[in-house]
Amino acid sequence: MVQLTINGKQIEAPEGTTVLRAAELAGIHIPTLCNHKELTPYGGCRLCIVEVEGMRVPMASCTLPVGKGMVIRTETSEIRKSREFILSMLFSERNHFCPFCQVSGGDCELQNAAYHEEMTHWPIQPGWNNYKVDTTHPYFVLDNNRCILCRRCTRACGELVGNFTLSVAERGAASMIVADTDVPLGESTCIKCGTCVQVCPTGALIDRTSAYQAHDDQLDEIKSVCIGCSVGCSIKIMVRDNRIIRIEGDWESQVNQGLLCEHGRYDPITESRRRITTPQIRKNGKLEPVSWEEALSTVADKIQSLAASKHGIAAIASTRLTAETLAVFKDLFVDKLHGTSVTSIEEGAPTASVTRFAENHEAFEGKLDILRNADTVLCIGANINRSHMVAGFMFKRNLSKGTRLINIDPESSELDYLANIALKTKPGSDLALIKGLQAIIVREGLGRSPLKLTDAGKLIKEAVSASGISHEELLQTAQLLAHSISPVILFGKGVTAQRDEKLIEEIYHLAVLIGAVDDERHGLLSIKGESNSLVATLLGMDTAFTLDGQQAVYIALGDDYVSKSLMERLSKSPYLVAQTCYESRLTEQADVILPVTIWAEQEGHYINLDGRTQAAQKAIDPPEGVRDNVSVLNEIATRAKMTIQPDWHKAILARKSSVALN
Amino acid sequence: MNKPKIATDWMCGCAGCHMSLLDMDERILKIVELADLRSSPITDLKEPDKSGVDVGVLEGGINNSANEEVAHKMRQRAKILVALGDCAVFGGVPAMRNFCGVEVALQRAYVEAESNEPGSQIPNDPELAAMTKARAIQEVVQVDYNVPGCPPDADVIFHVLSELAQGRKPELKDELLHWH
Repeated sequence: MVQLTINGKQIEAPEGTTVLRAAELAGIHIPTLCNHKELTPYGGCRLCIVEVEGMRVPMASCTLPVGKGMVIRTETSEIRKSREFILSMLFSERNHFCPFCQVSGGDCELQNAAYHEEMTHWPIQPGWNNYKVDTTHPYFVLDNNRCILCRRCTRACGELVGNFTLSVAERGAASMIVADTDVPLGESTCIKCGTCVQVCPTGALIDRTSAYQAHDDQLDEIKSVCIGCSVGCSIKIMVRDNRIIRIEGDWESQVNQGLLCEHGRYDPITESRRRITTPQIRKNGKLEPVSWEEALSTVADKIQSLAASKHGIAAIASTRLTAETLAVFKDLFVDKLHGTSVTSIEEGAPTASVTRFAENHEAFEGKLDILRNADTVLCIGANINRSHMVAGFMFKRNLSKGTRLINIDPESSELDYLANIALKTKPGSDLALIKGLQAIIVREGLGRSPLKLTDAGKLIKEAVSASGISHEELLQTAQLLAHSISPVILFGKGVTAQRDEKLIEEIYHLAVLIGAVDDERHGLLSIKGESNSLVATLLGMDTAFTLDGQQAVYIALGDDYVSKSLMERLSKSPYLVAQTCYESRLTEQADVILPVTIWAEQEGHYINLDGRTQAAQKAIDPPEGVRDNVSVLNEIATRAKMTIQPDWHKAILARKSSVALN
Repeated sequence: MNKPKIATDWMCGCAGCHMSLLDMDERILKIVELADLRSSPITDLKEPDKSGVDVGVLEGGINNSANEEVAHKMRQRAKILVALGDCAVFGGVPAMRNFCGVEVALQRAYVEAESNEPGSQIPNDPELAAMTKARAIQEVVQVDYNVPGCPPDADVIFHVLSELAQGRKPELKDELLHWH
């Protein structure tokens, strides 16, 4: 710890801390605009200048490391005058019209800083130059007139997201925030995560959907969890008058540290499907609105009558539903009704093989943190740039700092452009390739731990012929992996959907061989699927969905989508009950529709891909007539005279998890 | 009568700041107790006394030769000049025409706008004031107190006038300081 004095107050700060951060820890406010706690200090706006005894000129505290015995003053008249001058220059540089700016009145850090200095005006009028307003992006607007060039957005885009779309073109007063090579944002490489909007201190980047809807202090903030995928990012749902205005990443989160992707931030806002708010039953071929009582009794009678028969009922649930819902669903349809083919709509494709492998290798997977610290990432069959994007950010942002990426995928993806080695394998050749990699590492003597192989030469040859990858490429890949200090293997649906436990086992052996997995490191992770994939598989709902003569199918879809292939199978069912939120091709064919709450209208638990149990909160009230997912299942059970065991915590312990639960 | 004299006038604004002044409601009586409200655009006497006033309040920016005259006259006759509202302080909404220039703005307003009769022309009576760039008052004459806000709240105006009337410097901060 280093001792220093700020404004006469003796404080202590860890060595290497900046003066700005040290002051913040001591509860002393130093105004700043370009600084952001998740971004590397930049020293761009100079608003955080302080007086340091013995130094000739004021120093920017955001880039000044604490020194032993430093004496610092932040509120002298000289410093205040300088701050006011800096702010005057910022206001005069471009066009800041507070009366009609979205963020004016509390949400603008620039305006707040000026109020803090008690500025009633700025002395120099702007040059009345027109700066570009880019409205080509589907979700946000870039208004260069309001930009102060703090570069939070460009740093967030590169340092946090690893996308490097935004940058600064030109020099000096001509400097401008641009996308790529100064192309319209909507045509750029932007992946629409919206992190730049979240960090912008002024109204230069504003959200199309939430702009002019409310000031921050008019919004209720509900901390919850994103259920867009199994990463399980922490979110803040901003609500006004029972309407979701905006979704923000939670900077305090251990999982996503403030970041979100397009799906998490914008999908719920742009939802355009038509909501169903009345139970319906098909009568004479036509869906008709009925009371809840009639709908529930009809379903209860139907399933009760089928309970005894051998091919009675099949049931399928979305993995976006809460753990509570899935546990009740499983208890009702498996334990009480003895349904055949009771599974999830993912049918275990992202999880079944890892969970089966976990029977003998419990918790063999690591945590998301490993991606942040990996020096080499071997990515197999996972287009993480499209699905589970935030997990991708965790290593994409390090690629420019030397982290290497090896991508193995028969399908082309953006990852190929980022990868040091991109192996376009023939489909179905993963097992041969992984064994070939093991063999070449063993033969070259590069392994970190012993692995017994019968005929390395033969395995290498097989890998080359099966995958279409040359011996040279295989050797390069093996060398890159073996020379890494903290390698990580990440695999996705491309691997797990093969439902081959042997493939998981060989990937595990490869991980041990290259030192990704040992006593201390757990550098192996599968990205799984939807938000509650893991819970579904632990409840045993991870088998393929096949209908062989069942007389009814119950589908608990919630706010999820039905795939075309599932719909084809469902349409063969003579009787279809749909517990869902929106009109879809499913509801067109359903015999009974039970309208339920969407994700933000209910509370419950989710277990993310690295085993974290997280609580989702209710943020808004459901429309009238709509019921909660769990209560609908409970009501049916009650009417069918069955008692449901609602303890999901206990229920998921029936199987061993591939990742440690916490 | 030793009460300080106050005069107000408006230029390139929307009269909203004077509306906000009236929003002081019964507190106007308090101001009248403290000061002698002389001229204003909403009272009978329109021009500040030749003999001078203590406080001159101007709403609106300056966008033509007539505004310039008003501003200069008020500056000459007032000991303390207050710029009231965002147009007076920053140029405000009218200043947006500075991006395109006077000619383009007039063409759009009098000729091209959909609401105009066919054949409409830009008014060209020589009696009309000559248009200039829209400016904050401080660009033309020296301002002693800038009171931003669109409009400034009645509370703000009451605070400023009552402080000045009592010979104090009005301090704008916290709740009383806003630019929108």
